[in-house]
Amino acid sequence: MNDKLKSLKYIYKREEKEMKKKIIATLLTAAMMVSTLAGCGNTDSSTSTSNDVQSTTQEEAPAADDTADDTAPAAAEDTAASGEAVTIKLFSNLPDRKNGQGLVEQMIIDEYMAANSNVTIEVEALDEEAYKTKFKAYAMDGMPDVVSIWGQPSFLDEVLDAGVLAELNEADYADYGFIAGSLEGFKKDGKLYGLPRNTDIQIIYYNQKMFDDNGWAVPATYDELMSVCSDIKAAGYTPIAMDGGDGWPMACFLTDILVKVAGTDYADIVRNAIATGDFSAPELQEATQILVDSAAAGMFQVGYDSQDYGTAMNLFTNGQAAMFCMGSWECSMALNEDIQEDIRNNIRAFTLPVVDGGKGGANDIAAWNGGGYAVSASSAVKDEAVKFLNYMYQPDKLSKYGWENGVGMSAQDQTAYLTGNETDLQKQVMDILKNATSVSGTPINDCGPSAFKTSIESEIQGVSNGSTSVEDFLAAIGAACE
Amino acid sequence: MKKLYSNKLVIFSLVLPGVLVFLFAVLAPICLSVYYGFTDYTGMGEAHLIGWDNYVKLFQDSAFGRSLKNSLLLAIGFICIQHPIAIVVAAVLDKLQGRAEGIFRCIYFIPNVISVAVIAYLWKFIYNPDFGLLNNVLSAFGYQGKINWLSQQNAIWSVLIVLIWHGFGWGMLIYYTGIKNIDPVLYEAASIDGASWWTTFFRITLPLMKPVIQINVTMAIISALKQMETVYLLTNGGPNNSTQFAANYLYQQAFKAFKYGYGNAIGVVFIIICILVTVALNNIFRDKQEA
Amino acid sequence: MKENNMKIGKVILWIVLIIVAIIQLFPLIWLVDFSLGSSNEMFTNGLLIIPEKIRWDNYVKAFVDGNFLHYLRNSVLINTLAVIFVVIISIMAAFACQRMKWKLSGLVSTLLVMGMMIPIHATLLPNYKIYSAFHLTDTIWALLIPYVAFSLPQGMFLMTGFIQAVPKELEEAAVMDGCGIYRIVFQIVTPLLKPSISTVAIMTFLNNWNEFMMASTYLSTPTWKTLPFSVLEFTGEYSSNYAVQFAVMALTAAPAVIVYVVLNKHITKGVAMGAVKG
Repeated sequence: MNDKLKSLKYIYKREEKEMKKKIIATLLTAAMMVSTLAGCGNTDSSTSTSNDVQSTTQEEAPAADDTADDTAPAAAEDTAASGEAVTIKLFSNLPDRKNGQGLVEQMIIDEYMAANSNVTIEVEALDEEAYKTKFKAYAMDGMPDVVSIWGQPSFLDEVLDAGVLAELNEADYADYGFIAGSLEGFKKDGKLYGLPRNTDIQIIYYNQKMFDDNGWAVPATYDELMSVCSDIKAAGYTPIAMDGGDGWPMACFLTDILVKVAGTDYADIVRNAIATGDFSAPELQEATQILVDSAAAGMFQVGYDSQDYGTAMNLFTNGQAAMFCMGSWECSMALNEDIQEDIRNNIRAFTLPVVDGGKGGANDIAAWNGGGYAVSASSAVKDEAVKFLNYMYQPDKLSKYGWENGVGMSAQDQTAYLTGNETDLQKQVMDILKNATSVSGTPINDCGPSAFKTSIESEIQGVSNGSTSVEDFLAAIGAACE
Repeated sequence: MKKLYSNKLVIFSLVLPGVLVFLFAVLAPICLSVYYGFTDYTGMGEAHLIGWDNYVKLFQDSAFGRSLKNSLLLAIGFICIQHPIAIVVAAVLDKLQGRAEGIFRCIYFIPNVISVAVIAYLWKFIYNPDFGLLNNVLSAFGYQGKINWLSQQNAIWSVLIVLIWHGFGWGMLIYYTGIKNIDPVLYEAASIDGASWWTTFFRITLPLMKPVIQINVTMAIISALKQMETVYLLTNGGPNNSTQFAANYLYQQAFKAFKYGYGNAIGVVFIIICILVTVALNNIFRDKQEA
Repeated sequence: MKENNMKIGKVILWIVLIIVAIIQLFPLIWLVDFSLGSSNEMFTNGLLIIPEKIRWDNYVKAFVDGNFLHYLRNSVLINTLAVIFVVIISIMAAFACQRMKWKLSGLVSTLLVMGMMIPIHATLLPNYKIYSAFHLTDTIWALLIPYVAFSLPQGMFLMTGFIQAVPKELEEAAVMDGCGIYRIVFQIVTPLLKPSISTVAIMTFLNNWNEFMMASTYLSTPTWKTLPFSVLEFTGEYSSNYAVQFAVMALTAAPAVIVYVVLNKHITKGVAMGAVKG
């Protein structure tokens, strides 16, 4: 989900080198492992897709014209050949076009326009909250041609019900290297409506230098995390920078705790709770209580519940906070030249440590395939739009450029693009995924309808800051499921 | 003359643009809102009529209640904090002569011409507990804690401070104009009688300013009701709806929670409340003036 | 004794005025100060900083990447048009309702002024629907129409009052000379309304110049986006660079502040006239 790759400044100049066999092996395992990544709202989440990771070919990228949509390849090629001017409108959730994922997207657009002189791609980009708002507004009366979407019930259910997205032909993507299961969240009744862009892992970034200088150790259990936090606080720093103003990062954090408490039962517990509106399961109570206790103990910065993404991240990247709780898409911090070098080079990550008595092990992680792209059903240039979509997902485009720009893990097999020059942070995150014994799927706030999402993202602020009790919180989010 | 002035065609042509704008941009959206308020429209797909369901839900919705309460708090804050200061400063300013008067008046009004977008972001930084201006000012005075200005308990007051700061110049200017309109002969008479500044202020300035105060109070209450932009950017209603306002809430419900129909129901109730309050205030003040 | 009291009074008076002035201005000084430094300096503890190096490039970035001139042009154009429409429409309507003889004049006048009571944000949702249906979203009309519509009631209200004050004899003389209604409105009455027109214009400008809710809802491409909107867009793009964000904010605020300081007297007069009447 939230590929809020704001502000990731670095120069794109990495040369592709020969692949390192060892790392390939690693990533292959990782890719297979992730086969259970799927939306928890999808009942058929266990069925695997037709994609087989190992059979993926990516020596040669298919030429742009070869990927034209099956439904009208001839028409599409005709347009291209005749040079008839086509304008494709792209609506994106990546406002920063010079860094991170936004840069990757823009690079591909520029390449595509250079290769197809008759095509103009107009980009409208807003950051996530504004994007989702505007998306709904667009959904009423005509969408741009290619749009960013999220393969999660909170976003996609209503969108698919309204029929605003065009169906894609799943067979076309057989050799695109999509990780098995990653397409599930984008399907409805077995039909495919969108393609995933990233694999996101919930992690805690930490400043290794600060840890070493102060003799703090990476915690192995939640209790250790609590005690290291109180040490950090005593030393005058913020333990964990948290974007609590937005609600969703805290919901992702709660998801992570719940995974450690409930282990592989996570998805079932959440699915049941949302289906019945009854959130009284002991695991939910325990996880929420842990969040409340952590916040009360001062784990987050003062005023975390009203601060936004940028503020939280800046606390960490400016050395005010020792840790930062966010998804793996922020790995490109390690390449962000706006961040001082001695901090940038010392960013490392760990997954949430195990909870005492919890069923989840250290390698049961919170991860999911969230953001992606789709084509509008009402697009006047649908064929051209699909053609462009397919171009973006050629394995040597989004996936490769993303990896080279430190954006994080794509939803496609990236083994071919390992350079050996990856940052330590990238390698760490890769290892986390490789070593995972289970992955959670969609975070809790995105598992229900959007009314539920709105409710939990607001209520979680109240429960974490102590003004709502755990019971009231669970009752309130249950009521929002109707 | 009479004939000329009652030419239907001419009248029609003069009024038409105004009426068209009113019909298209004010009346039509309200009618549409009323319609959608009775549906379960999500913003996409089809709308189904569901009768009064949205309104029933609305009256049980604690967040909506909270937003009305916040409007009330804001109005009280304006009236009890901003206006007394504005009146006193206006009266003091009136005593100054020459350039200084103009310069101060100009400075006080400057925040008013700056976009809410800038103001809200600026204050987000000012309120930041870790590096914000406000806590730095406090620490310059020796206070060492970190105050969380936008916490669930404090946030609404912090919003109020921003609004008071931003709107101060406007309120002050109106009072200032009111004071300038007071006949100077009255002040001369008072000073001959040896009245002090405070006596003059309470006996002459305040009573004569009554109509101006009434206008300002009406405007304060209405702007408290209509509050949206500052809150939208500063807190977006949070934490946990503690700074929610009707306009912001309807926007969130319609565009974030896929409840376009419900959002419109909020809009309809919101419009009704605004009209009722305006009419009520006008009546209250009119009665008083006549009495 | 009395003289001493007077002196102390004067001192207190000045102190009060200066404190209020500092409160009103200091946040803006702070803004400009930090916009000239680097982002890391934000995290120092002092009230103001003396930047290690004055960073004009923050402003260059803000100016270029923020598309400042384009957005400024849009803002100026849209607001000017809105003012012109509001003034003309309100003069015409106010004249017709105030001076002409017809049955519904009172009703129409009340209706038009009633718009003042309608909270503008309540129309955001339905208006979005309407503008989409007429393909007006993302055009200049999507901003012009609501800006005019929600400034018109105030304009109408003020104009009605001002036209009332215009002596009837003038019009009678004009009728004697054989003038038609349109000539009376635009050549006889309008010139007399100059100060009122400037009041309506200033009020309309102040109402709309800083508006961004509608701009962000109804517009999608940068073609017609206005200045306040650029702040929203930019803070997203440069979220890790506070100094550049500050530069954008300072830059966005600048035109209005400069115009205000230069035209201070006229604007104050206009606002005072409008506000006390309204």
